[in-house]
Amino acid sequence: MINLAGRDILYGWGKFVFTGVGLGLLVGLTLSMAGIYRGLVDDGRVLLQNGGADLWVVQRDTLGPYAEPSNVRDDAYRALLSVRGVAESGNVTYLTMQIQHQGGDVRVMLVGFQPGHPGEPGYLVAGRPITRSHYEAIADVRTGFRLDERIRIRRHEYTVVGLTRRMVSSGGDPMVFVPLQDAQEVQFLKDNDALVNERARTAANPAFNRPGVPGLLEAVQASQASSRNVNVVMLRLAPHADEAVVAREIRRWKHLEAYTRADMDDILVAKLIATSAKQIFMFLVILAVVSAAIVAFIIYTMTLNKVREIAVLKLIGARNRTIAGMILQQALGLGAIGFIVGKTVATLWAPIFPKYVLLLPGDAVLGAVLVLAICALASIVAIRAALRVDPATAIGG
Amino acid sequence: MHDSEGTMRPMHTAIEISGLTKRYGEGDAAVDALKGVDMIVQPGEVVGLIGPSGSGKSTLLKCLGAVIEPTSGRMALAGETIYDNGWKVADLRALRRDSIGFVFQAPYLIPFLDVTDNVALLPMLAGVSNGKARDRAREMLVALDVGHRAQAQVPQLSGGEQQRIAIARALVNQPPIILADEPTAPLDSERALTVIRILNEMAQRFRTAIIVVTHDEKIIPTFRRIYHIRDGRTYEEAGAARAA
Repeated sequence: MINLAGRDILYGWGKFVFTGVGLGLLVGLTLSMAGIYRGLVDDGRVLLQNGGADLWVVQRDTLGPYAEPSNVRDDAYRALLSVRGVAESGNVTYLTMQIQHQGGDVRVMLVGFQPGHPGEPGYLVAGRPITRSHYEAIADVRTGFRLDERIRIRRHEYTVVGLTRRMVSSGGDPMVFVPLQDAQEVQFLKDNDALVNERARTAANPAFNRPGVPGLLEAVQASQASSRNVNVVMLRLAPHADEAVVAREIRRWKHLEAYTRADMDDILVAKLIATSAKQIFMFLVILAVVSAAIVAFIIYTMTLNKVREIAVLKLIGARNRTIAGMILQQALGLGAIGFIVGKTVATLWAPIFPKYVLLLPGDAVLGAVLVLAICALASIVAIRAALRVDPATAIGG
Repeated sequence: MHDSEGTMRPMHTAIEISGLTKRYGEGDAAVDALKGVDMIVQPGEVVGLIGPSGSGKSTLLKCLGAVIEPTSGRMALAGETIYDNGWKVADLRALRRDSIGFVFQAPYLIPFLDVTDNVALLPMLAGVSNGKARDRAREMLVALDVGHRAQAQVPQLSGGEQQRIAIARALVNQPPIILADEPTAPLDSERALTVIRILNEMAQRFRTAIIVVTHDEKIIPTFRRIYHIRDGRTYEEAGAARAA
């Protein structure tokens, strides 16, 4: 038996392919939305993996450092190292800021870390690690910074000595890693005018400027001009240490909050990006429904254009399943073209997106199955219309 | 008469209709389109069916084509009763496919199939293999003098060629009857007469009974026998009467 669907497609291939490409762009958009959702989740998880920590110790009663502000004294690590099971610690600060670069702004997350401790970038794709105490930086490639380039962060210039990849905040901003003390200065130190103003205000306060207490005013002013806080202390545990037990000990005895990797994953995925994820998921559902409606409309229109041929086919003895098969095969063909075009364009335009778009093979397979299922479902309306065609319409009168 | 496999088929009256009625609607809105039609057509005959608009021609054709169900009466095709106050055949689709050929006012060829496959589609629907069906289609196209257009696409054909292809499609399964609904309407006089000549030749060659519904004055004289239909009733104009 002739493949009627195939012949019809070949006969009007231009229109069919053009329709398939249109559908493909819609499918590409849907796949990209799924990729954006995956990218959002992956950005959050990458943030956790790259620090190399087992526990995140933050200010009590906060969900810091990514979901809420958190301040911890930078000497807290000493007490934490004394907790049984803790092997290493690293003070880390985070600050989202704009950096001037080549006449424009680059939004980055500035990370202060202690080289050789938890919180440092997991790997470099170019350059070297930070070896000096000040004014060196490692940047994610998405910042656009180049090796040996000098970038200005607040008052000081930093030399980019290393480049890393996939080091982004939960919001997708690329990271710039600098030594901890530099980051603390950037985060907490005020500008010169504010310092002069603050010193004058402190000197005018008789409580801090007592005639009989020499050195008090200088001590107070010094404490105001420096910072001894960090946002999180990352801990790496000894082998076989139970992270839940260590976290419980820290909460009980150190008056701090400690989160395990699973806790942080929950905070990032279930809380921090939950609203965005739901938003994208809703958009994804709407796109799928719109795609189904468009496919149904296209197939229905294509079928109505063939009413006379269908009537003749029925009159000369074609079975209903032959006619239904023709329409179903055309719908699936349209879906196949749509998926191939959609997958191709989604892959091609994914790198252009400012945020990470993660196109997983599993999602592509699921997408293909869904597209074909939607096309098959959408063809039902057209098949019903075709089966209702009266063969008598082929005969005049 | 030979069927498609070359075996002898017993000779029967091709079409035998008696007291056929068809009523559309019910109650006050009921319309009696056929009010007791009688008709007999022998194998190899080409019979004209003539009548004004609304006389019941198309309804009779649809009943004969097993497309709509009559209200009462009896119909037999090739000696087999297919309707006797109710369908006597379970599979009307197979009946249409195997026993009835259709030629329409417009050729209604399938535009996305080439000429050969348009004709071969019928035997393929009947379960004949693609190769055999195409061979049979080519033979029929040659018989209708359009063998040279076998590979052509439908839009490349003239109106007359398309109508010949439609006739080839109607004949390819060698049905005992063909129903032609104003097959010459879109054609000029010369081509119209050619189509009727072809139908006559094919009727003789394949012993097929052909009913031609027409308004076309120029082809009416070519029929040996004519049935007039008026107000749902048929009146035969016999050959002798026509000769007179």
